[in-house]
Amino acid sequence: MGNDEKGAWRQLWGTFFGKTWPMWAGGILLALLNVCLFLVKSPWGGSGTYINWGENIYSALKLFDLSSIKPVLSHTYGLLGLLTLLGAFAGALMGREFALRIPPVGEMFKGLLGGILMALGATLGIGCTIGGFLSGWAALSGGGIILAVGFLIGTYIALRYLLWEMENLPKMSMGKSYTWLAAKGRGGVWQPLLGVALTVFLLVFFGRRFQDNNVLAMFAIIGLVIGIILQRSRFCIVRAFREPFMTGESEAPIGVMAALAVGIFGFTVIKYMGVGTSTPGAARALAMVWVYPHFWLRALIGGTIFGLGMTVAGGCAVGTLWRAGEGQVKLWFSALGFMLFAPLSKKFIVPGFAHMLPEWAQQKVFLPDWFGYWGAALVFFILIVLWYVFVKWNERTGKFSAV
Amino acid sequence: MDVNVDKTLDCQGLSCPMPILKLAKEIKGMDSGQVLELLGTDPGSKADVPGWCEKTGNEFLGMEEDGGVYKFFVRKS
Repeated sequence: MGNDEKGAWRQLWGTFFGKTWPMWAGGILLALLNVCLFLVKSPWGGSGTYINWGENIYSALKLFDLSSIKPVLSHTYGLLGLLTLLGAFAGALMGREFALRIPPVGEMFKGLLGGILMALGATLGIGCTIGGFLSGWAALSGGGIILAVGFLIGTYIALRYLLWEMENLPKMSMGKSYTWLAAKGRGGVWQPLLGVALTVFLLVFFGRRFQDNNVLAMFAIIGLVIGIILQRSRFCIVRAFREPFMTGESEAPIGVMAALAVGIFGFTVIKYMGVGTSTPGAARALAMVWVYPHFWLRALIGGTIFGLGMTVAGGCAVGTLWRAGEGQVKLWFSALGFMLFAPLSKKFIVPGFAHMLPEWAQQKVFLPDWFGYWGAALVFFILIVLWYVFVKWNERTGKFSAV
Repeated sequence: MDVNVDKTLDCQGLSCPMPILKLAKEIKGMDSGQVLELLGTDPGSKADVPGWCEKTGNEFLGMEEDGGVYKFFVRKS
């Protein structure tokens, strides 16, 4: 290979793994993959992963009867989340950004607490920032709007707490920390080589394992790619809600808006056309995919609790996965809290909570039933435009930014 | 980097949003012209720190990396 060719390959590699991708690019790609997941079987979601993982743990420990649960590798979302984590690991390796980062004890505790709150919020409210919001808006669900309001409230309160904690409980974020297995210097190649090897291995392993199961094969492959894109673009919905109140920077909200716009368009086409259906009943069932019975109080309560948890943890359900893959041990604790508490909440807390709430507080609201398909899509686009205007104005004036 | 550091802020092990919150607080308590060295391990800080500097009008002097630890140099305006 001549020097020019070597230089070209190096440049190509550098484009993808030399630095972080813009968040809007990650957002658009992730939304396209979400449309693919919907076409394969069902949209992207985050909390289903932890519920499945947790149920498998409880089942293995023979604590409460979970005879109906699927093993992780046979469950669409258990598998999707696992490959997302491994994809993020591979992405971090290829970008030479992997390291085992062990934070001070107070931070690990916050990770665990954040995970527990997210588990509670996602099960009570039905949905997380991906399933209930990113996919929920794309699904034209009214509950998704309320969930977003809840996230905003929870994030704001948690940010005020973090600022207070910094002044009054500084020891929570101080203390011994460790960084192991980081890539050393410019010459280190073990990480990128391992990252490529891992990616190839995962594709081959799962491609062969699911030769006779298209759905699981696609969930595995799409999960892997989602993981790489998440880590490379550092796509973060927590930042989208939190940043306007913190630095006022608009990159994160705009990245999420890009994902929402593409998702809404793609999902609306699928639902409007009744893709893959041949009867009115099936078309209606497709239309109601990812429209949960949580409008409006249930989504508000669950969303607020989830918003608190994700901000304290420093990552939402899916943010926890990609940061865990990058080696951030705080988020390992967040994942642990989430997966251990979610099945408990689902089994012991949600039934009583749902029974206590009146009917009108937990409705399925499908916006096209009110505004028609394109009217409903327009409602969401107007919300995005209003959010954009606010975020840009706040960036310029710093009116709501704390730092 | 050849620069006189007035204060060092150790944010190793901390992840988003803690490094930026602590950076903002530390800079607030410094005098104009003083230089802060921030140590961190969150890859997100590579974009966050220069971004915060640009946004708040503080001067980002540069970054060094050594075995997973990033050193950021910020001069208060």
